[in-house]
Amino acid sequence: MAAPMELKCWGGDWGLPSVHPESLTVMAYAKFSGAPLTVNIISSSWKASKGDIPVLISEDKVISQPAKILNFLRKQKYNADYELSAKQGADTLAYIALLEEKLLPALLHTFWIEAENYCSVTKPWFASRIAFPLSLYLPGKMSREALNRILLTKGGPPLYSVTEVEAQIYRDAKECLNLLSKRLGTSQFFFGDTPTTLDAFVFGFLAPIYKVCFPRVQLQEHLKQLPNLCRFCDDILTCYFRLSVSGHSPAGQDTADANLQKLTQLVNKESNLIEKMDDNLRKSPQHPPRKLTTLKLAAGGEESSPFNRLSP
Amino acid sequence: AAEPWPENAALYQQLKDEQILLSDNASSLAVQAFLQMCNLPIRVVCRANAEYMSPSGKVPFIHVGNQVVSELGPIVQFVKAKGHSLSDGLDEVQKAEMKAYMELVNNMLLTAELYLQWCDDVTVEEITHPRYGSPYPWPLNRILSYQKQWEVKRKMKAIGWAGKTLEQVLEDVDQCCQALSQRLGTQPYFFNKQPTELDALVFGHLFTILTTQLITDELSEKVKNYSNLTAFCRRIEQQYFEGHDKDSSTIAARSAKKSLLR
Repeated sequence: MAAPMELKCWGGDWGLPSVHPESLTVMAYAKFSGAPLTVNIISSSWKASKGDIPVLISEDKVISQPAKILNFLRKQKYNADYELSAKQGADTLAYIALLEEKLLPALLHTFWIEAENYCSVTKPWFASRIAFPLSLYLPGKMSREALNRILLTKGGPPLYSVTEVEAQIYRDAKECLNLLSKRLGTSQFFFGDTPTTLDAFVFGFLAPIYKVCFPRVQLQEHLKQLPNLCRFCDDILTCYFRLSVSGHSPAGQDTADANLQKLTQLVNKESNLIEKMDDNLRKSPQHPPRKLTTLKLAAGGEESSPFNRLSP
Repeated sequence: AAEPWPENAALYQQLKDEQILLSDNASSLAVQAFLQMCNLPIRVVCRANAEYMSPSGKVPFIHVGNQVVSELGPIVQFVKAKGHSLSDGLDEVQKAEMKAYMELVNNMLLTAELYLQWCDDVTVEEITHPRYGSPYPWPLNRILSYQKQWEVKRKMKAIGWAGKTLEQVLEDVDQCCQALSQRLGTQPYFFNKQPTELDALVFGHLFTILTTQLITDELSEKVKNYSNLTAFCRRIEQQYFEGHDKDSSTIAARSAKKSLLR
């Protein structure tokens, strides 16, 4: 019903549709609310832009921050929150603030400031996605902005340098992850069975931590100890983004396949043995023929709730 | 074992009548409310250089025994280590909610107050600059003021608020108040029967916004739209601040503030 909308954002890797938390948030929300977005991934042939990413372009309007983009989508009647009560809407705002204050600094630090991570993973990845002269400048600029943000919001006398703030922000981030895990508990999404804005934001922030392979991964290790959050990310990836089941990189997928094959062979051997035993038993008049167990390959967990419904 | 709370615990803030600004007053009131709710006596000491005395550069800070702790978060933890806590009765999910709402207040209300004080030109000229440096002689007062303004503007730019207009900031305040109002509902406190540090923080900010005179009344109008929030502030004021004759009495502060600020 609305004019076609186009979303420019960073691309994905490691099984994610996007590596950038804010882009991921917008993409997830679009999937949850059924908004028809054409996603335009920034590539090296794309011309330079000066705005923030992600950017939504619809007719003549250019909207840049995730909160504003989500607002715009809601006004276009793509609303993932219409079943929420007023209190739940308030909770959404509060938890988003918690994410931004407590988790985002550590996320930025892991991506952009931790020297090993930045030099070996982040910078080459982003530089390879941007056209030549800009690729020398833009990653550095993003790194400096991240550092600035952390120092200005978290550091202050006597914590002037990043190393002193580091311990504090990782502590805060781990506490935030624990709080999120407690809040999620055993339910499918944060507010029941259907995903909402809060799920989009949490997914946007957690999935990069969870999936991107860095050399220094203290936050990822902490996250992996919270199985309900990992399950939350995996569910959204398989149901809404139709990616491979485990979302591993190709090498990982091969080893998983090899393991699976070995298991299949083992079980088939067992079933052969059982057949033989069965034949022996049939000679003596007792048991009815036993059913053979077959190995069921785990299919991608199909979500029962429809994911492309539009709000009235 | 918890050490006893000393008699001479003191809370330091800037000079109440001439110097202190909206955001600092809100933070200070939040800490005072929290300590009152814990039944821990504290006297308020006003010093012009309170910001520089503070270990983290932010006011208020408390001086208890031989320790100095600043800002509400660390103060809550410090008080907890001494054996007093308001949020022990909450379960895990409620504690998560409480922390989330405290971050919401810090993220939106406090930042909006800072924006209004330091990035809105009219307010800066007429209120902030004269007040902030008032204890000091010229040119020091202007230099300190500009320095602080530059710092705050840098922070706003880093978190993406520099591009916002005043209307957008007021809208954010409205959204935040709406969320708080919906969460509070008809209960006396945010977690029903007992006040927690969240109540102290919300009271500090909302009460200050309601009782501080600025250039226009837009900010306090946003809060007044939600009657349960104003009732909440009045209730806490009556319960924890009335009957005190000390400096920290907000009734006296309220009338004092209304007459100045020009």
